[in-house]
Amino acid sequence: MKPGSPIRGRAAQAWTIATIELRRVFFAKRSLWVYALALLPSVIFFGHGLDAKLRMDRLARGGQTTPALMDSIREGETAEDVKTRVGKPAREFSGTHVRRVRQRTGKAGTTTHVIEPAVAARFVRLNINRPSYNGEPVARIYEFEVYGPDGRVNLALRRPATGTTPCSQDEGPEKAVNGSVAGGQADKWCARGFPLFLQVDLGAVGPVARFVVKHASAGGENEDSDTRDFNIQLSTDGKTFTTVASSVGAGFVDERTEYREMTYFDGRRVARLYFGDGKLQGKNINRPLDFEEDRTIFAGIFQYFYLRLAIFFGCLGIFMYLFRGEMTNRTLHFWFLAPARREVLLAGKYAAGLMASAAIFGGGALLTLAAMLWPHDAIEVQAFWNAGGMGHVFWYATAAVLGCVGYGSVFLAVGLYVRNPIIPAAVLLAWEGASGIFPPVLQKMSILYYLQSLCPVPAPIDNDVPAVIRLLAAPAAPASRPGAILGLLVLTAFVLWIAALAVRRMQISYGAET
Amino acid sequence: MTQPAVVFEEVSKFYGEVLGVNHVTLNIPPGITSLVGPNGSGKTTLMNLMTGLLFPDHGSILMRGVSPRDPEALMRMTGYATQYDTAPRWATGFTFITTGLLLFGYGRSEAEERAWKALERLSLTDAANRKVAAYSKGMRQRVRLAQAIAHDPDLLVLDEPLNGLDPLVRAETIALFRTWAAEGKHVIISSHVLQEVDVVSDQVVLIANGMIVAEGRIRTVRDEIQEHPSQYIVRCRNRDASGVAALLFGEPHVTEIKLNDDRMGMLVMTRDREQFARALGRIALDGHRIESVVPADENVDALYEYLIGGESR
Repeated sequence: MKPGSPIRGRAAQAWTIATIELRRVFFAKRSLWVYALALLPSVIFFGHGLDAKLRMDRLARGGQTTPALMDSIREGETAEDVKTRVGKPAREFSGTHVRRVRQRTGKAGTTTHVIEPAVAARFVRLNINRPSYNGEPVARIYEFEVYGPDGRVNLALRRPATGTTPCSQDEGPEKAVNGSVAGGQADKWCARGFPLFLQVDLGAVGPVARFVVKHASAGGENEDSDTRDFNIQLSTDGKTFTTVASSVGAGFVDERTEYREMTYFDGRRVARLYFGDGKLQGKNINRPLDFEEDRTIFAGIFQYFYLRLAIFFGCLGIFMYLFRGEMTNRTLHFWFLAPARREVLLAGKYAAGLMASAAIFGGGALLTLAAMLWPHDAIEVQAFWNAGGMGHVFWYATAAVLGCVGYGSVFLAVGLYVRNPIIPAAVLLAWEGASGIFPPVLQKMSILYYLQSLCPVPAPIDNDVPAVIRLLAAPAAPASRPGAILGLLVLTAFVLWIAALAVRRMQISYGAET
Repeated sequence: MTQPAVVFEEVSKFYGEVLGVNHVTLNIPPGITSLVGPNGSGKTTLMNLMTGLLFPDHGSILMRGVSPRDPEALMRMTGYATQYDTAPRWATGFTFITTGLLLFGYGRSEAEERAWKALERLSLTDAANRKVAAYSKGMRQRVRLAQAIAHDPDLLVLDEPLNGLDPLVRAETIALFRTWAAEGKHVIISSHVLQEVDVVSDQVVLIANGMIVAEGRIRTVRDEIQEHPSQYIVRCRNRDASGVAALLFGEPHVTEIKLNDDRMGMLVMTRDREQFARALGRIALDGHRIESVVPADENVDALYEYLIGGESR
């Protein structure tokens, strides 16, 4: 009944525990989101590959050209020239861009409004609805002139003017009727706040036929500060006003541009040609499937998504549950009543979690790599294998498995000491994320530190990223892979030893005991 | 040669501020020992301390010479049927017990054989391949008992083992206890009803509020209890209560019977529990269907007062 040596007996016990627990870990409902995390990148890569392949198929059906002809297309050629020389494009569009732009008149900033026939009035009112083109809520009127049918005398000149409270004391309404625009930026009526209006009393009722409004740019300011939307009203008594002129629709016109877009495909590359005014203005060549690009994206996904998030949270879900979950379900005593040392139980449960997580995430990483390789040219894939591709596969799988080794031990220990996983998980995530800016001694206390140096392709990072972010994203890696593996295993052994201390002292407390 | 014993020396256990058990000193020889006390008195705490599910804050414990801190040695000779009414979700009655046995180092075929034997003893073979989670309360009680005995331990710790058992299985289980006790094993059972266990126990330990209030050979306390009449609730099948009551009323030790309105149950007062138990056995053999017999004297505190008061007088 009793096995030969105690060590072998304990190993057998640990293995028995692991096999029992393995089933639970693999088939638990909570494992579903772990699978989802592990498989997500492969699904994305597969989708990307499928999309690119379909696109290339579609382009190829439209007609294919040669790389040399595609490269010969130069800017300045007309669409017809290109077609004659290179042939029918795979796709072609043409159309008109319509854009509403501000009308540019020679006399910037001055608008004239004529009413016919002339209207008798004593009071003239300028109402401003949208005071500027740039959205600034400030009205700026340098001069407001009113003329009769003879058109010679400015009836508003130096007449009493009122209006919305001015921006400052020396920018009052009288500045809009002082006959000058050249007195600098203070030579204007400036107001903010609604309703915005400027009103001039002409002194007596008389015929009025024309208005001239000098806006911000007439006084030397930016055109965008010109009044955008306003109207002019007249009144004989200062009480009842009638609108006689309006700016609406005046400031904008439709700008039409003819364009044509042609797409050529040479079997690998797609050239997009933009023709404006009949001539080639832009040429954009890219590859729907770029092996180097995909490989870099895979490296990024592996390091930023897989190592930092998926394996981290996956191990949290799997390993914290090993003890804590059984405490919640009130089934932990079943194990504690087995004739096994607590350390053996710990080892068995850890082994179960490790086998499950390594299979899920190692498998997920390999599946992602396969999904990345799948749509590419056989020649390029062969070149990848010839250039040490098998080594890449091995190191990605090793990094994923060692990630489970490291994070698994940490979350197993955390689950033994702490009841609620959210706070320690947040602290750990911050610790792992920030370890790049720590001093070297503390860096060695992070799992990510070791994992990063195992990855065969450095994670992509833009050059213009600030130095601190760069440190956070890619901590300095240890010198060698054996060193990294050894360091990680030593760290794991240390964490497991701490976990063993806790599990040896652990007591069953499901709640009310009697 | 001294007998192997279960020894508690000045053992105290606190749950934070709350007292579990206090200054417990025990020396339990082999045989059937009952831990009796009301709910919350510390019986389960004592049993968890015996099996290493809890560790004492003060004092020391030796189970037949083995410390509970050494589960590898302790659990090989110990079977503990807990009151925790849970089993791993994956477990059927059969796999639950087989899995436990695999951890003892038995080969699969031997483990399965032993598991089947244990299930047979507790009449659970019909339900062996159903999930434990789907068992009735009584069946779960029995499967825990089966698991505790499957590896043929020398030391059995059974928390309320008779709870939820029907009279037939209960009688068989008690017979098992007696067999093991005769083989020199420890059978430690707990109950909150003294009358339930005193007939089977060699020794009782009365516990209240975490302290031992009485301990000793059962005969020394039984005579005192004998004077104290006991009540039982008997439930019958097929509305047969009046028939059973008529037979019971002919017994000289039965002093009073109150029939329930539903004609399925009755309250019986008796002066002699052993005679009462035998009488019930005869009635059952005559073909009357007795569903359950539950002691109605649940107020153990009153009984303790009676006992402790008797000692001090």
